[in-house]
Amino acid sequence: MLMFVIRRLIQAVLTVFGVMLLTFLLFRVVAGDVTADYVNPKLGAPAREAWRHKHGLDRPWYVQFWHHMENSVTLQGKSYQTEERLTTIIRERAGYSLALTLPGLVLGWISAMVISCFVAYYRDTWIDRLGVLLSVLGMCVPFLAYMILGQWLVFNLYPPAAWGLRYRGNIYLPIAISVIAGLGASVRFYRTIILDQISQDYVRTARAKGAPLTTILFKHVLRNCMLPILTNLIMAIPFLIMGSLILEKFFGIPGLGDLLISSITRRDVPIITGLTYLTALIYVISLLTTDLLYGVFDPRIRLS
Amino acid sequence: MTTAATDNMIADEQPAGRSLWSDAVRKLRRDPAAMVCFAVICVYAAVAIVAPWGLSGWAGSSNYDNIHQPPSAEYVLGTDIFGRSVFQETLLAANTSMTVAFMANVIAVPLGMLLGAIAGYYGGWVDNFIVWLFTTLASIPGIIRLIAIKFAFAGKVLFAGTWFEMNLDGMAGLYIALGVMSWVGTCRLVRAETMKIRQLDYCLAARSIGTGRFVTLLRHVLPNVAHIGIINFSLGFQGAISAEVTLSYLGLGVKDAPSWGRMIDSGKMDMVLGRWWELAAAVGATFIIILVWNIFGDRLRDALDPKLRNA
Repeated sequence: MLMFVIRRLIQAVLTVFGVMLLTFLLFRVVAGDVTADYVNPKLGAPAREAWRHKHGLDRPWYVQFWHHMENSVTLQGKSYQTEERLTTIIRERAGYSLALTLPGLVLGWISAMVISCFVAYYRDTWIDRLGVLLSVLGMCVPFLAYMILGQWLVFNLYPPAAWGLRYRGNIYLPIAISVIAGLGASVRFYRTIILDQISQDYVRTARAKGAPLTTILFKHVLRNCMLPILTNLIMAIPFLIMGSLILEKFFGIPGLGDLLISSITRRDVPIITGLTYLTALIYVISLLTTDLLYGVFDPRIRLS
Repeated sequence: MTTAATDNMIADEQPAGRSLWSDAVRKLRRDPAAMVCFAVICVYAAVAIVAPWGLSGWAGSSNYDNIHQPPSAEYVLGTDIFGRSVFQETLLAANTSMTVAFMANVIAVPLGMLLGAIAGYYGGWVDNFIVWLFTTLASIPGIIRLIAIKFAFAGKVLFAGTWFEMNLDGMAGLYIALGVMSWVGTCRLVRAETMKIRQLDYCLAARSIGTGRFVTLLRHVLPNVAHIGIINFSLGFQGAISAEVTLSYLGLGVKDAPSWGRMIDSGKMDMVLGRWWELAAAVGATFIIILVWNIFGDRLRDALDPKLRNA
């Protein structure tokens, strides 16, 4: 077990290093020079040089890469636009993103679980078929359509709730949209997992000895489904802090996703770098957690 | 598989009829849902090919006396903010969508298959390096990965001045970005499958008569993982269509061509004013193509995956 943990830790560190390398290559090398976006061309070469010197862009590439790694690890990158540190910005904005995504994740998970248990319970009846049909249709509707139609519906009912964060209650609409839009895919996924377990031998044994169906479903089946479901939940964590890019932009919620999109248009490299790195870091940590959990619960994985 | 004793036998004595591929085709042909979906995909592809020639005048057909007209006999789906036909725009956008999705997968699937097969077959440090490469790529989640590479591509032109000139702000940039960023899934599956195939008797047989490692990989391993490539092509296609719509909506996708994402973007505030047609056309077109790919992809996977077949 110790060797397994050490091996996974080394892999995780290497992946994080890879992400630093990748962000450096993408945003510093491929994207090239952004000086022209920040210094008025009329000011001429000296002003450009001064700006580049101030942000350390005139140093050799290995020094820049070293600073890039430092800034990544400590999340101390400074915005070109506002000169704010990333940690300050995250503290200001992460709350808005979490206010949107956390209830969205919890509500989405609960409703998907309830519906998929229900549908799986009635498998091969018209309820099941209707459920599958609706979830496939729901998956195929573009997310943008949910968002725009949701806003339109609410606008017709109660206009002030349809946009922006002027009122605290305006967060309910984006949350509802993210729950409903995600429902189709989740129900389909969970239904498959549950049905996979229901067709196992131990369920037949439990039924044969006369256990009631609810006991079978909740005590045996759900417990065995927990690992993939837990994985699915943990892997949703990286998306929590970034919020939903599209929802935040559309509803004017000043979270981190909205910041990422506006930083792209402003070409604010340190912010884009920092946010990309942060998401990747949380992803790697989540993945590591799932792997270790699997290692604890499933000896086959630990030993292979 | 047959007893693959020598290369010549494989070439000459292919047993008639029942290969994985002919079985899959037969199975799909008997499946009405799959055939309907395939027909719809063909219609989209045909529209995508024909529309740019037939409707080349659309971009310049602005008519400011005619803006935001509701659907009528002349304009089946009404007109947009410049007085141009929304119906024609929807057809033209099919070209953008299908081109981007097709090219993205033409890049991603072979890349993933080759890297996956090399990693799985050679093992050792080659494997470690490729696994590190795709773990790194995959650790930047979903749309952020695409946004990041589109940012890096902004304002760039590839092979400027040559015949191959590609504007990375336009369609080419979008499918290159999608292609370079979405080979990971294929690579993972192909790598796992290759590691299994490598140990099978026919690979050993090929190696034992002196076939080189790379030739064995190309001739004996890759053909046996090709079905994974086909399945991932169909899965990737619908993924790329929705990615194109989302990115174009955000202003990070195509800028120089009609796109369903851009139509949704320009129609997003129109709903409130009762102008539903532009939005409905774009959403409807996206919904149908994603739905049919979804169903067709599922059926294709069932038909091509021998492990699911007997279940």
